[in-house]
Amino acid sequence: MSDRVVIDADALGKVFDASGQKSVTALHDINLTVRAGEFVSLLGPSGCGKSTLLRVMADLTSPTSGRIEVNGKNPEQARTSRDYGMVFQQPGLFDWRSVLGNVELPLQLAGVAKSERRSRAREMLELVRLSDFARHFPWQLSGGMQQRVAIARALTGSPKLLFMDEPLGALDEMNREYLQGELLRIWDSTKTTIVFVTHSVAEAVFLSNRVVIMSPRPGQVATTVDVDLPAPRTAEVRTAPEFYDTVTEVRTALHAVLAGEEAVA
Amino acid sequence: MTATTDTGPRRAPAVAPWLVRHVVPAVAAPVVILALWQALVRGFNVESFVLPAPTEIGAALAANLTTILAASVVTVQAVLLGLLTGVAGGVTVALLLARFRSISAPVLTVAVIVNCAPIVALAPIFNNWLGTASIASKAGVAAIMVFFPVLVNTARGLLDISPLHLEVMASMAATPRQVALRARLPHALPYLFNGVKLGATLSVIGVIVSEYFGGLANALGVYIAQMAALPRYAEAWAGILVAAALGLALFGAINLLERLLMPWHATVRSTAD
Amino acid sequence: MAQTRMRPPPSAAPAAQEAVATLGRQAGSMAAALRPVGWFLIVAVAGTALWEGYKALGRSIGDVIPGLGIALPVATDDMAMPHVGAILGSLGAPVQRGVDVSLGSYLVQQAAVTLQEALAGLVLGLLLGCALAVLFLLLAPVRRGLLPWVVASQTVPLVAIAPMVVVWGGQVGMPAALTVAAISAYLAFFPITVNTLRGLQSPATIQLELMRSIAASRRQTLWALRFPAALPYLFAGMRVAATASVIGAIVGELSAGTGNGIGRAILNFTYYYSSGPEKLYAAVLVASLAGIVFVQLVNLAERLALRHRPRG
Repeated sequence: MSDRVVIDADALGKVFDASGQKSVTALHDINLTVRAGEFVSLLGPSGCGKSTLLRVMADLTSPTSGRIEVNGKNPEQARTSRDYGMVFQQPGLFDWRSVLGNVELPLQLAGVAKSERRSRAREMLELVRLSDFARHFPWQLSGGMQQRVAIARALTGSPKLLFMDEPLGALDEMNREYLQGELLRIWDSTKTTIVFVTHSVAEAVFLSNRVVIMSPRPGQVATTVDVDLPAPRTAEVRTAPEFYDTVTEVRTALHAVLAGEEAVA
Repeated sequence: MTATTDTGPRRAPAVAPWLVRHVVPAVAAPVVILALWQALVRGFNVESFVLPAPTEIGAALAANLTTILAASVVTVQAVLLGLLTGVAGGVTVALLLARFRSISAPVLTVAVIVNCAPIVALAPIFNNWLGTASIASKAGVAAIMVFFPVLVNTARGLLDISPLHLEVMASMAATPRQVALRARLPHALPYLFNGVKLGATLSVIGVIVSEYFGGLANALGVYIAQMAALPRYAEAWAGILVAAALGLALFGAINLLERLLMPWHATVRSTAD
Repeated sequence: MAQTRMRPPPSAAPAAQEAVATLGRQAGSMAAALRPVGWFLIVAVAGTALWEGYKALGRSIGDVIPGLGIALPVATDDMAMPHVGAILGSLGAPVQRGVDVSLGSYLVQQAAVTLQEALAGLVLGLLLGCALAVLFLLLAPVRRGLLPWVVASQTVPLVAIAPMVVVWGGQVGMPAALTVAAISAYLAFFPITVNTLRGLQSPATIQLELMRSIAASRRQTLWALRFPAALPYLFAGMRVAATASVIGAIVGELSAGTGNGIGRAILNFTYYYSSGPEKLYAAVLVASLAGIVFVQLVNLAERLALRHRPRG
């Protein structure tokens, strides 16, 4: 992990329908720094703005106040220069492309020559252990396999940064735990910086270096918990006392957020 | 290398059961019907004005094959020209609507309403405008009948793309042109084919009705009507048979094209039942 | 009827049947129902302006594009393109010299005859279509055997069979109008069959398992679950069928020897085109409006029948 700052948000705010009667403050005064090589989770109850924050970073929506830099650029520059890869909650694969065709799409859009993007896409399929399914169409794969294809697609342009918006949220528990392990393995082998949105405490603790806990109405950063678990994080970590301690710490912080919520309401 | 926790891929079923389940019944049905038809006509001595026996129709077809085929060529040319023109026009306007999305809703609303009008009624007007004997007047009516369903379906396919797919494209920094070419257009293909299938039927109706309002005497629709009026029913039925075969061939060709252009889609449908 | 919350027919439509279903579908409240009328008026005005504009242009350049010497595709003299005013004016004039009936009321009368035939065809098509759909639902082998041929039946040019249907009708002594209705039904039953079958198959597994868990019989499942679920699909098919039945009625009139109906009127005015071109245009206009009104009535019926359903 280096000291290079990849994401730098400063007093960031986002108000939906600012001029209208039903204006909603989705993000309020967000200050957040993510360094190169970090795995940072954004955790919080629904409505806390964690997805909005990620979408602002990815330039899928724009902030209404404050400043944010992604790779030292504004988010739009970062997006158009393809600095990041993104994985959504749903795989979002294109039905008409084979698995290989889906994975090579980002490179195709960037104008990379066919032979080069083919071999690169094959490498990525190997990384997510789906080499045997290159010629299949998405509908022939299970949900978990489709999401692995989506991860391969996000990684195929070798981005230094990966945005993941509850990527495992739609999967069953078994698939989830398996893919969490896969994700750590991929993170370890690609040295990519990952910003990961989730509403699962255990998932955030198992995966991250740092868990950013957010509170709703207005969405803001409540507190940050550093996770110090032994590397490599294997399945055994899930049963280790340190894991439980950190989960408890995060859960306590989250409960404080929710209690504050109720006090206001 | 497959993950143990993953459920395996869903594979297409083997070919043999598919043949037995889908092809055999579809082939058996007409054989049974033809046999029954022949038996009933012969068994009950049905008069030929009610229904000629399949064998009589076959004989009439063999005797008049050249006349019928010559008439078919005239009709088929107009049908194909009308279909192609209508599809080209419909797709072009649909693409424009996808490009200028603010006007798409009112234009589609109007297109849906106009499509409710019996456009065949334009046939005599087109005959007056473009010449009774010209292929343009026949194909023109067919083209307009094809245009609307193709426009409405294709536009819907281009516009109905999911927000998720648009965001995926945005996250890859796709240009508007790439979004249109790589996301909207392939997504709209199945819709386009639905429109073309509807259009194929309408194109045939448009051309034959247009022929009815005057034109070349050696067209298929005119031949059938004349034989029915004479009355030479076996010949009329032979004409109907050829018309049916042509309609089927057109439909089959479109289905084949669909399978070729959309392998992902055809495979989905062959297993769904 | 079970108040099951049904999903409306899917708007993402991969199969041919669904395009049939989505074609002509408009959602919205009654206020939204009036908006198309406004758009239609705008189109009518724009169409008139285009027609008269093209005509004026053609007149001023003598129907030949200057400098190129290419003739305009359609001549613009009063014979080929009467003024819109003349077409509308002819509606008020007597239908024939010395007859005390205006062209407008004559055409509306004939259109009413055609719409009656179309309605009869639609009802016949509805009965046949629903019967086939239920048959296909209950008997899978029959479905696999016949469904491809039902699809194929629509590729057989209806107009080719129409003369034979007229012959049959005549031999059996069927009234000509009923023969026309039968031809109309031939076009109408198909979208109804395909959409209704899809609708009958649309209930989710969980809903079917609920019926099973409360020991509902096949018939009860059909009435309480499958039919209500199929209604939105049925109406989607009806909208397409309504358009088709009007086409069928007009085509049937051309083949049948009846002197009545808007199709016949169009044929007559085609014969006497040279003595009054605007009459043919008026007839085509009335036929088009009649078709649109007919389909809008079916839309209205749908809005009433499905007023408690969520809109897609």
